[in-house]
Amino acid sequence: MLEAIDLVKRYGSVQALDGFDLSVAAGEIVGLVGHNGAGKTTFVEIVSHLIRPDSGHVTIDGKVPAATRGQVGVAPQHIALYPSITVREHLELFGKLAGLRRTALRSAIDDLAVALRLTDFIDRHAAGLSGGQQRRTQAATALVHRPGLLLLDEPTAGADLETREAMLDVVKQRAGEGAAIVYTTHYLPELTELQATIAVARNGRVIARGTYEELVDGLPGEVRLLLDNGEEMVVSTTEPAATLIDMLGRAERPISAVDVRNPSLDDLYRSLAVSDAS
Amino acid sequence: MLLDAAPLDTSHRAGALDNLRDAGYRVAAMAKHNTTIRLRDPGQMISYVVMPMVLMLVLKPLYVRAVEGGATKVVTGLLVMFSVFAISIAGNAILAERTWRTWDRLRVSKASATELLLGKTIPIFVVMVVQQTILLIYGCLVIGLPVPRSLGYVALAMAIWAFTLLSIGAALAAIVRSHGELSVISDVGALTLSSLGGALVPLSIMPEWAQIAAHVSPGYWALIMLQAAVRGDAAGLLAPAGVLLAIGVVSGTFAVRRLTRGWGRSRLL
Repeated sequence: MLEAIDLVKRYGSVQALDGFDLSVAAGEIVGLVGHNGAGKTTFVEIVSHLIRPDSGHVTIDGKVPAATRGQVGVAPQHIALYPSITVREHLELFGKLAGLRRTALRSAIDDLAVALRLTDFIDRHAAGLSGGQQRRTQAATALVHRPGLLLLDEPTAGADLETREAMLDVVKQRAGEGAAIVYTTHYLPELTELQATIAVARNGRVIARGTYEELVDGLPGEVRLLLDNGEEMVVSTTEPAATLIDMLGRAERPISAVDVRNPSLDDLYRSLAVSDAS
Repeated sequence: MLLDAAPLDTSHRAGALDNLRDAGYRVAAMAKHNTTIRLRDPGQMISYVVMPMVLMLVLKPLYVRAVEGGATKVVTGLLVMFSVFAISIAGNAILAERTWRTWDRLRVSKASATELLLGKTIPIFVVMVVQQTILLIYGCLVIGLPVPRSLGYVALAMAIWAFTLLSIGAALAAIVRSHGELSVISDVGALTLSSLGGALVPLSIMPEWAQIAAHVSPGYWALIMLQAAVRGDAAGLLAPAGVLLAIGVVSGTFAVRRLTRGWGRSRLL
């Protein structure tokens, strides 16, 4: 569905993308993670046809981005809504610009209002909404025309629990219906919940890609024992079960708590940062 | 023979018609949306209608004593002056898309840049024409402006002037970096250019250098055009209309090129 090959983009002295490769199949969710400045937003803007790469190629369903206007749904990182316009009016505008008419438009708005829990404030102006409500409204404007490719740039940044739950449910549903989804985030647990393929971006290129299990394979987890005197034993290990048995055998005092933590995406992030720095 | 002929292939024509209808639908959606925005924030428009009405009433006796056809000159002069101020309505409406970061969202949609700009500017164009119409009707009913001989000429003059103002406003919005900058440029520029063009004080009683310098002001050409339109003077209308259309086309082309590229985002944003 989406194929980006060797994208390069430079802003003056800043190298935003430096050989960025990413492909996303129909029905696949790719979680694009990386620190600020890794190139995630620049990538989203190139695929949205807002800016052109200095070199490299992007195709969406085999066509260049310019030929796929309206087939992409984009929810940018920053809130971009009209303050004096209601949620419903936003959805009407973006739905109409995508070509939806009468019954199809009404039905799309009603469905999204329920799915993204907009019903309670659908006739309120955007300026009067909370941050989470604005986030959901913004996502809804990207989803209203059921695009084949969705680019969601940190859609839950600063959002409350309700917003996060609603957003993840809708993203899973749309992927289930066959949409290709690029989901950038700093909240790594969201990607495991979405069962997303994870792509790690750093310095303008994708440096690792795979499932959660593939990426964390070989990374150390952590085993933690709390003794009855308050003393704590912590061991970093790639074999938590064996290490736990060993630690239980070695403990000289009664144990009040045990905690086994498998390697997380945060650990992956840290390990990639360390390997990159060295 | 005719019966044997292969049926005409009109599918491409039907496709083109469908495309045109779709484009019209998107332009209408944008225009409705922008009309709603304008109607929910009408303050600027109201002040640019009420202020010239008050000033016309106050300045009318002065104009009538100072120059021949004083009623015509006070109405057209203040109409031009306050319609120039309305440039900031156009500028702010377009600049707001940048500050709200909504323009890029629209650019991602199926609508082309031309459709977006048409939908954006049609309501502002209507606002400008409505402002001028209200002031002309007020001029006829209250100030004593002679009823124009040709309403067609007046409508044409107002449309050309509104197009020029809209284009200048869009060009300004495409180059300024903030609403403050736009406000300074449009207010100072509007006052200077419209005064210099004879909109505030009749040109005939201005110093000779100012009468020469007036030719660089779009306000000057608008005044001549409107006064010719009110007189029903088609020949007198043509030259200023040509100058204003040229200004409008140049500024409009610049604005369209700039806005379709997202305000030259790599430099400004």
